[in-house]
Formats: sequence, C-alpha cells, structure tokens
Amino acid sequence: MTENPKTKLVPRTTGAVMIVGGGISGMQSALDLANSGFRVYLVESSPAIGGKMAQLDKTFPTNDCSMCIVSPKLVEVGRHRNIELLTHSEVVGLEGEAGNFKARILQRARYVDIDKCTGCGLCEIVCPVTQISHFPEQPEAGQEKKKLRAKDKALITGSAPPRPTSLSAWTFRVDEEKCSKCGSCHRACLHGAVSWQKKEIAAIDQDKCTGCGACFVACPEKFQAITVDNAPDLDLSLGAAIHARSREIKKELKGEGNGVCIRCGLCAMMCTKVMGIGALAMVSEGIQAGRDICQVCGACASVCPVNFLDVPALTDKKNRPLFDEFNEGLNVRKPINIFYPQAVPRVPVIDEQSCVQLNTGACGTCKTVCGVGAIDYTHVEKEKEIAIGSVIFSPGIEVFNPRQRGEFGYGLYKNVVTSIEFERLLSASGPTSGTVARPGDDKHPKKIAWIQCVGSRDHTCNRDYCSSVCCMYASKEAYIAREHDSSIEPTIFYIDMRSFGKNFDTYITRAKENKVRYVRAMVSRVFEDPVTGDLELRYIDENGDKQSEVFEMVVLSVGIQVSEGSKRLAETLAIDVDGFGFAVTDGFSPLTASRPGIFVSGAFNGPKDIPETVSEASGAAQAASVCLADARGTLLTEEVLPQERIAEPGEPLRIGVFVCHCGSNIASVVDVAAVTEYAKTLPNVVYATHPLYTCSQDSVENIKGLINEHNLNRVVVSACSPSTHEPLFMSTLRQAGINKYYFDMANIRDQCSWVHPLEPQKATEKAKRLMRMAVANVSQAEPLSELEFDVESSLLVIGGGVAGMTAAVEAAKQGFGVYLVEQQTELGGQVNNLQRSWDGQDFRPFLSSLKEQVLSNEKIRVLTNSAVVDQSGFVGSFESEVMTPSGGTRKIEHGATLIATGAREYRPDLYGLNEFDNVVTQTDFETMIVEDPVRASSWSNIVMLQCAGSRCSEHLDYCSRICCNQAVKNSLRLKELNADARIDVLYRDMRCYGLSELDYRRARMQGVNFISFDPEKSAPDISTDGKTVEVLAYDPSIRMKVSLKPDLLVLSTGIVPRDNEELATMLRVPRNKNGFFIEAHAKLRPVDLASEGIFMAGTAHGPKNVTETIAQAHAAVARVATILANKKLKLSGVFSTVHPENCAVCLTCVRACPYGIPVINEEHTAYINPALCQGCGICVAECPAKTITLGRFEDRNINAKLQSYTGVAHATEEGGV
Amino acid sequence: MLPCTGRIDESLLLKAFENGADGVMVIGCLEGDCHYVNGNIRARSRVKRVYSILEQIRIGPDRIRMYNLSAGEGAKFAAFTNEFVSQIENLGPSPINVARKQAARESAQEVQAT
Repeated sequence: MTENPKTKLVPRTTGAVMIVGGGISGMQSALDLANSGFRVYLVESSPAIGGKMAQLDKTFPTNDCSMCIVSPKLVEVGRHRNIELLTHSEVVGLEGEAGNFKARILQRARYVDIDKCTGCGLCEIVCPVTQISHFPEQPEAGQEKKKLRAKDKALITGSAPPRPTSLSAWTFRVDEEKCSKCGSCHRACLHGAVSWQKKEIAAIDQDKCTGCGACFVACPEKFQAITVDNAPDLDLSLGAAIHARSREIKKELKGEGNGVCIRCGLCAMMCTKVMGIGALAMVSEGIQAGRDICQVCGACASVCPVNFLDVPALTDKKNRPLFDEFNEGLNVRKPINIFYPQAVPRVPVIDEQSCVQLNTGACGTCKTVCGVGAIDYTHVEKEKEIAIGSVIFSPGIEVFNPRQRGEFGYGLYKNVVTSIEFERLLSASGPTSGTVARPGDDKHPKKIAWIQCVGSRDHTCNRDYCSSVCCMYASKEAYIAREHDSSIEPTIFYIDMRSFGKNFDTYITRAKENKVRYVRAMVSRVFEDPVTGDLELRYIDENGDKQSEVFEMVVLSVGIQVSEGSKRLAETLAIDVDGFGFAVTDGFSPLTASRPGIFVSGAFNGPKDIPETVSEASGAAQAASVCLADARGTLLTEEVLPQERIAEPGEPLRIGVFVCHCGSNIASVVDVAAVTEYAKTLPNVVYATHPLYTCSQDSVENIKGLINEHNLNRVVVSACSPSTHEPLFMSTLRQAGINKYYFDMANIRDQCSWVHPLEPQKATEKAKRLMRMAVANVSQAEPLSELEFDVESSLLVIGGGVAGMTAAVEAAKQGFGVYLVEQQTELGGQVNNLQRSWDGQDFRPFLSSLKEQVLSNEKIRVLTNSAVVDQSGFVGSFESEVMTPSGGTRKIEHGATLIATGAREYRPDLYGLNEFDNVVTQTDFETMIVEDPVRASSWSNIVMLQCAGSRCSEHLDYCSRICCNQAVKNSLRLKELNADARIDVLYRDMRCYGLSELDYRRARMQGVNFISFDPEKSAPDISTDGKTVEVLAYDPSIRMKVSLKPDLLVLSTGIVPRDNEELATMLRVPRNKNGFFIEAHAKLRPVDLASEGIFMAGTAHGPKNVTETIAQAHAAVARVATILANKKLKLSGVFSTVHPENCAVCLTCVRACPYGIPVINEEHTAYINPALCQGCGICVAECPAKTITLGRFEDRNINAKLQSYTGVAHATEEGGV
Repeated sequence: MLPCTGRIDESLLLKAFENGADGVMVIGCLEGDCHYVNGNIRARSRVKRVYSILEQIRIGPDRIRMYNLSAGEGAKFAAFTNEFVSQIENLGPSPINVARKQAARESAQEVQAT
C-alpha cells in the first residue's frame, strides 16, 4: 500500500522555533533544533551573535581560547540553511499559544544591506568620525542651510612652527567659468601660490603650491571654482581621497615628525568640505579653530597624519568619545562598526547617534568606498511577523555595575577595572592586543588584586544570590595574567572558594602552584594614591587583624545579573521572573517557563557557567521541539543540487583561478592583476580573473556561471581564510555540478596583504607563490565522495535512574524507539533513596509518575536486571548485545547510545560511619527526618561535617557539588521541626552556588552555626565511640575552640560514580580518574562523548542535583535527535583508507590511532571504518608500507605543493584526471 | 595546511629541502591541547628524527624546528617566524640550493663555452 500524500495529516503545530538571544545558549539551541528538523529564527538585539562568550579571552578549567572554540559555532550558525538570523532586532509581541505562536519582531535600521555586504570592513577604516558630535541645528525643510560663523576663535600652535609638506600633494586648479573673482583663495594661500587682482580670475602657480588646499577650502561654497586634480580616490569622494592621502603621508613619514604640523591641510578640508562645518582654517602660525562651531566629530584629528590635532583643544564643547561596547569601553570605535572581528554576521551597523551623514546629511564617505553598494542611509526600522511553534528565551546576562559599591572606587580610580574589562585586556584581539596594561597609564602592573563577590551574595544591593562563575573566572584571569607576564603577582580576596564544578578544584590547585595567592578576607575599602595610581586595599585577615596592602591594579569580580532589557522582554513574552529577574521554573521541569510553549535556558535561568548553559540550551531545544514533533521537517529548506558531473577518463585539467581584491584589503598591497596574469601562465589554468569580492552573493553566482561557461573542472580561490570561507566556495562548486573537493584556497589576505602592508612588491610575489601552490595542489585533487548511510531511529539508554527515564520518555515523545536497560530490578536509581528536592518537593510522586510514563509508553522497551555486554557499529547504526535475566543475550539495533549509569552516595568508614547509630550521612539524616519527625524533633544538638571524605587525597579528591546545599537544606528542615535545635556545620567552603545562596543565608538567619576550618591548619578533632560524639573545633569568628557533644554527627560524604569500568572499556569511551565519563569537550560538548553517537546524562558525568540531571537528560535527547531525526547521515569525504595490497598487517596503524579505529578484518588486512575515522592522518604518516591515504592530504598533494613552492619546474608525474 | 601535524612524515619534511627550502617550520597545537589527542607529540618525534638525518647529510639540524601555538597567538606566531627566519638568514642558503646554483652556473658556462 502506498501512502497518498494528500491524506497525510496536516500538522497541528508549527515546525519552527524562535530563539531570543544569540549567545552560546541560543546558538546551541539553534543548531540542535535546525539539525533535528526544525526551522529556527534566532533573534539577537546586538548587531552580531556570540554573546558574552565571544568577549572572553580563555575559558576555565581547560584554558581553551574562547574565541577559537566559539567561532566555528558562529560560522555554523551563520551558514545554516534552516537558521534565520535576525540580528539588531527585538521581539515586540507574542500572540497565540503553545504550538502556534505569532511573534512580531522589530528589525532596527542597520543602514547596511546584510545580503550585499561582504564584511570587508573598508567603510569602518575610512569613516573619519570618532566622537558623538554636537550636531549644528538642522534647517527646516525647504530652508537653506545657514553658514556657520565662528565667534570664539582659537589658535592651535605646536611645539615647532608648521613645516609645509608636499608629500603626496594634490594639484588644484581654478575653474575660470565658475570663478567670481572674489580673491578668497588668494588671501588664504600661505605660500603665495595664488595670484589674483581685483576683478580678475585667480590663477595658481603649481611650482609654489604645496597642495595644502587652503584655497580650495576658502573658495565660497556657492562658486566651487577651485577643483582638485590628481588626487587618488577622488573619483569615490573627497572623504575617501583625504583618507587615502593621510595614509600615504603616514606611510612616507614612517612615524617620524609626530606632533609637528606639516600643513597638509587635510583637517581643514575634512572639516569644511566633507563635514560642512568650516571650523578649521590654516593660518601662518598654525591652525585656527572655531571653538563654538566645532561639532566635535573628531574627523580632523583622525585624518591628521602626524597626530598634531588634539580634539579637546579645538572646542569648548564636551568631548564624547564613541566607546567600543564589545571591548567594554576600553577603546573607541567608529559610528560604522563591525561588532567584533569574528562577528557573525560580519556586517557593520551605522550608529544613528553619532553618524554625521544620518544627522546632518554631510560626509557619506563610507557609502562611496563600498564596492558592493551595501550602504543605504535610507533604511528604516521594520516589523516582521513570524509563525512559530515554541519559543526559547535565552537572553543571557550582563555584569553588575560596581559603581553601586562605591567603596571600591570603580569609575573614580582608573586602575580599578571589572573582570570583564580585564578579560578584554587579556584578549589578543582586545584593545591592548593582549598585554596586561593599566587603563590609567598603560603601565604593566605587577601586583594585581581580585576582589570577589562584588554584586554577589550581597543583600545590600539586592544581589543575594551567588553568581556561580566568579571564583573560577577570577582564578582563570589570575592564572592567564601570569601566563602573559610571569612577573605578575596575583592575589584573590574571597569569602568561600566556590570551585564546585567538574575538575574545578584541580584547577585551583594548579593556580596555587602557579603562584596565584588566595586570601580569605572581605576587602572593606580601596584607596588610590593619586600620584602613582596605585591602590591600597584594607581588610581584616583570618586572625582578625587589620591589614593594608598596596596593589597596582584591582579587578572587581563583578557578579552577573539579568538586564533591564531582558526583564522587559520577559514581560513582553508574559513569563514569570523572580525578584532578581531570573526565570521562575519548577525543579522537575527546569527548562519550562510559566507560559506554556516558552522555554528558558542559560544564565537567565539562574547563574551558571558555559558548559551548564550549553547543556541547558540543548535541553531547551529538546523541550521546545518535543511538542512540535508532528511538524518536524515541514518548514525546512532543502538544497536542490544538480547531478554531479563525472569526469571522463583522460579529461584534461581545466583550472579556474579567482584572485580576490577583498575591497582594498588585498588589492591595496598585492597587485591582484599581476597575480591573475601570472595565474594564466601556469599549466592547465584556462581562466583567471580578479573579482572585487569573490565571496559576495553575485560573485558566487558568477563563479557558478563561469565554471559552466569555461567547462572548469578545478577551482582555486586566492582570498582570505579557508576556515571561514572554504565551505562557501566548496558548496559553490557542488552547486555548479562539480565535486567539491576539486578546490583549493590560497590565503593571500590574512597571511599576506595583512602581514606585509609596507612591502607591496614582495607581498605580490608571495601571493603568486601561495596561489601557485594551490594550483599545484588542485591539479592533484581527487574527487571524494561523502558516504551516506541509513539511520536506525532508536535509542539505547543504559541506566534507569531519573536521567535515563527522563531521556527515555522524552525520546519516545520525539518519536524515537527506546530500549532502557537497567541493572537493578527496580527503576529509579539513587533517587529511590532520596526524599526531597532542593526546592522542597517530594521525590516520591515525581518518581512514581516518571516510572509510570516509562512503563506505559509502548515506544519504550524496559529491560531490568539486564546489562549491555557488547556494542559494535557506529553512529546511526549500532548493534548491542544485552544480557537478560534468563542469562541469554538479546541483540538490539539502535542509532545512538545514552549512558546514564548514575552515581551513589559515598560511604567511607570515617568517624564510625557504617558502625555507630549516631554517625550518619546526609541522606540517612534526611530519611530519618522524613520518616520519624517526632524523633527528629527531639534532637537538640547536631553537628554536620562537610567534605567528610571529599576534596582529600585519601578519599575522593573532588568536590561533590551537592553536599553543601544538602547540609543547608537538612538544617532548615530540622529547624522547621525544632527551632531550638542547635546545628553546627563544620565546613571548608560553603559552596551554595547560584540561588541556593538564599537558603544558606536563611539558615544563618535561623541560627545555624557555620564554622569554617582548614583541613591542614585547623581540622576539627572528632571522636566517636558508639555512645557519644565529641567534637572539638576552632571557630574563627570568635577565635576560640568550641567543644560540642551532638546527638548526631552527620557526614557530608559526597558521591561516587557507579561501577562503570567494564561499560567504558566495552564502549571505548574515556573516564577520568574518579570514574566519571569525560565529555567530548569540557565547554561546548558537555553531554557528548568523544565517540560519535554516544552521549551521557546525569551523575555519570559528574556530581549534580536532580534538577541539573533532568536538564542534562533533555540535553542528551536533543543531541540524540540531531542524529535520529535524519533518515540518512552524511560523512565528511576526508577519511583514511587502507589499500590492502601493500598492508603487511604490522599493526602500526592500530597502535598509532588515538581513537582506536583501525582493526584487522577478516581478509587479514588493516581496515579503517570511514564512519569512525576522524581524519587526522596520523596513521598515514606512521604506516611503514605507505599504504594508507587520507583524501585531500595525500603525499602527492603535499609533494605538489612543495614542488611548486620554489617554482623550480619539476615535471609532474601525472596530468589529466 | 594539514589537518594535524601528525600527518607529517619524515619524507615530506626532507622533500621540502629537496625542493629548495632553506628552512622548515612545523607548527602544531600546544602540547596537551592537540585537537587529535597526540598528533603533535608524534610530529615532534618525527621532527627530531629528521634532525639527525639533516646532520648526516650535512644540511644541519638548525634548519628545521617544531613550534607549538594556539590559534589565538598571532603575535607569538609572528615572533617565532621572525626568530626562525633570522636564524636561517644567518645560516645562509641550504647546501642543496648552493650546489644547485653552482651546477646551474657551470652548465651555463659550458653552454657559453660551446
């Protein structure tokens, strides 16, 4: 029976999702959704996506370069066919209900056409404006513009008299027909070059003229009788010509003569002729400035080639520099600005407030230099309506404004900076190019202090919560600062060191070893020494003594908060937020906002770090799509490709070469025409051209046409970086019907014109060489095919705890089959032993409802008392063997695997635990309170010991993350039963991160005693004998020893992973030394394992609470859906292949492969499964028989490049296809 | 450009000299940060092996060097390159190139002589 498409059900929901916020959270959600069959609208208020992560220098705890790991995601989101980016836009309305919403988006005017712009950045380079101007009053419509006349004139003179120059001088000429014989030009000329008599036409003596343009400026606007000849770029505009001349002069002066006016006249021409102000005139002593009419745009100073002009001296008005928001205001930017160098979309926005053209109609220089006509000053904001099924709200956070904590002097003392500012100072692409320099005086500071909890854990400014990330980022910044300059001595002042995440404590240890000093103290005040700019910090140390210490720079570890803008957006979307602005969610459905159909993720859903954000983002993608499962795939745009043309045997090579100008990025240095001509002389090159922008939309279309017209079968593009542009050109080849691997790229911008701007000839030779090597390589290119194979649309879940069950239920709702394998008889895992969640909810009804959903779902097969004993195959097509209770095995076919093997409470034999009744764990204690409240209320004295068997080398050397909250929660519960009970909590650091800080505060308010100890210096003395417990501890707050005799000693023992060694070996997935599985990437792939198609969720990954586990289970299902939602999967064409004829079965490749992929097959030769190969080429290099090849990177490719390197003609062995 | 320095083998490095390179820089990820686990460590040992070969054939081990950099270290890359280039400039052209030039000159003289 065939299905009639007409009878197919129309989906009830809309297969599209709107994501609000384009930070790492929004990007991850977008990719997961778009890769699992949904259309995505990604709405971002700033000009580009990337969010806070793009601003960071490095990320903890791996010190990965933040931009390096986020930029591939930026590119992927930017290029994804099913993600529509709506940047510089805002959501203004949301109507409808879950499944079928209509959202209204306000797209603010960008003034640059996103479709036309190639992101070359020329506009930003030529834009002369650097300030927010005081624009003169504009005439009413129809009225003529009044000429500004200065009343307050100042003379700007330098240390030396002006030295007139004729470097790159322009030539001026009098248009005799236009000349009104007024003599203004004659009077203006300071070199006696203009001759004029009353009632006679002026004339310019070219021999005397220095090209300062004073005559040109002086000639009244209504006549315009003086014209310019011989000025490069004047055909574009005067502004462009001034920019070009300024650059030429700078180049010729080579930085000499700084600060001495050379009377080039560019400032006056800029002010009068481009900006239409006329505040500047050249006089014999220097420059005369009309202080009252100056609009303070900064254009004169920005074109001055000798840095003679200083804007504040030119005017009586306030200077308002235009600060770069991306660099946290540490440097200035232009009104037309690309948000940051790696921005996606790499399209500038024109700032309405500061752009001269938009405000007065003058200037307009950027438009004249744009080679693709992308700039359009007539843009207006537009409203757009989109139909969507769900919404993900992930607006992210901003940092706390430390001006509210005046005692630290931020805003007053220049050398007090925020942590995010410091992050920009560390960044190689930041305002100081990665040198740690004080903003006050550019001095390299040695002693730097970090002050923690500025705007966190602070009731006085309504920031009662812990920001969760500051302890780690401060440690990272201190660590990296020392990496930049090893003479830096960092000190971190903290309350509790909250390094509660996976591998965080190890990082702190490393930081300490790397001479980062930690001082447990709250800094009370900062004083500046006005002479040196150094800063004195005052604090009370752990012994209660007053201390004062001088630092050269202070970094405030500012907390994170929800911005007012995000709060307004939340209101627009009609979702509930708490008193701090964070989303209100339920502990058992952590990603669901109060309004059905809206989901939240990232730091808006409570303070969190990047991996947790990424995890929540995937989780939100899952939650947002599960209710739209019936509409999956209905709104996708599929690419229709022509049949790939198969080359005839012996078909001659026909190579096409495209040498890009990149506006003037390349062409201003490299002679692209010469490179193109040279290309034509190379063997087999049948066509070569040099487009202005090779990557612009029309140019890419053009390439397709040229491929067909000239019957090209290989293409070389000499342009920018392959890491950003290669995918674009490769898909262009494929769209033109030729194999996309018949391509190579030479990077003549980043690696040539940008590095050698002062050596154009050598740069041109280098560009030729790079291009020649690419031509040689492409001559050797082989067509590669990307394997496609079927996907088995079911999931194997190993472990039936909360993580496994949640994942099973969600995957089934997504429409996938699920096998749930649990070792025990009963589902539920560790939560079977727990009573209440951190937010006070009872686990029992939750757990039984979850079990019911699992057992009643016909798509889920539950196999209890069973274990997975073997797995083979690869992503999309695994086969596993499951040992069933009968002792037999059962074969299961599935497309993906999810490990949710969980963890249990650690029970060390410490202080008589497992032996005496009055020594219990936190879990035991909780059970006792719930099961026998009468008995519990009789206890009058409880001591809790934190880190009992955690964070030490003898037991667990990691932090279990949940114990501090558990202790606080149980203390509060006991206080509910018996407010008079005395509870003492002995702790090292109270790690009540995020909003649980509120509970910690509540516990302190209710009289729970928190006594800190240092295990090395002041470990409490505890003795137990079965009858009594005696505790002797030093309480630093009263600086005395206290003796306690509690009814119960409660140990916070931490959690350990379940036995998973065999499973890990069988699945070939790595675990860390503590037995937790290692994620594929600590930051950006938190639930993926290194082997494709295998994922994890819950405590198998690391200690976490139930809410976090549920979020992660959702995340894992989202990642699974990106595989299972496809009928077929496509693999990269670049993989290693063993050619069996020469294989000696020496096992070298088997040993060398870092992923353990090569195997010896039944034919007794090595075999590499292309679906598993990662394409690194290590085996290729190691193989002694040289019988392994890696597509695109074969010896003959590399040899061809090497041979063509010197241009020494070596006959190539092969020609033709 | 290669997927990983682990793809480089000794013969390719020597081929570069054969084709007229005066010096060869191999640049991989930072040790411990290899995108492919340990490719850069393998490359390092291969470069070391090439040292001794270069020594034997009198080209000299100073003409090849392995550097480790992260993608964010443009300035460091430039510094390394300048350092290496000046090292090679001090060494002068590779003996292979000297010999080749010599041979070319001789054959040119021969042509003139005939």
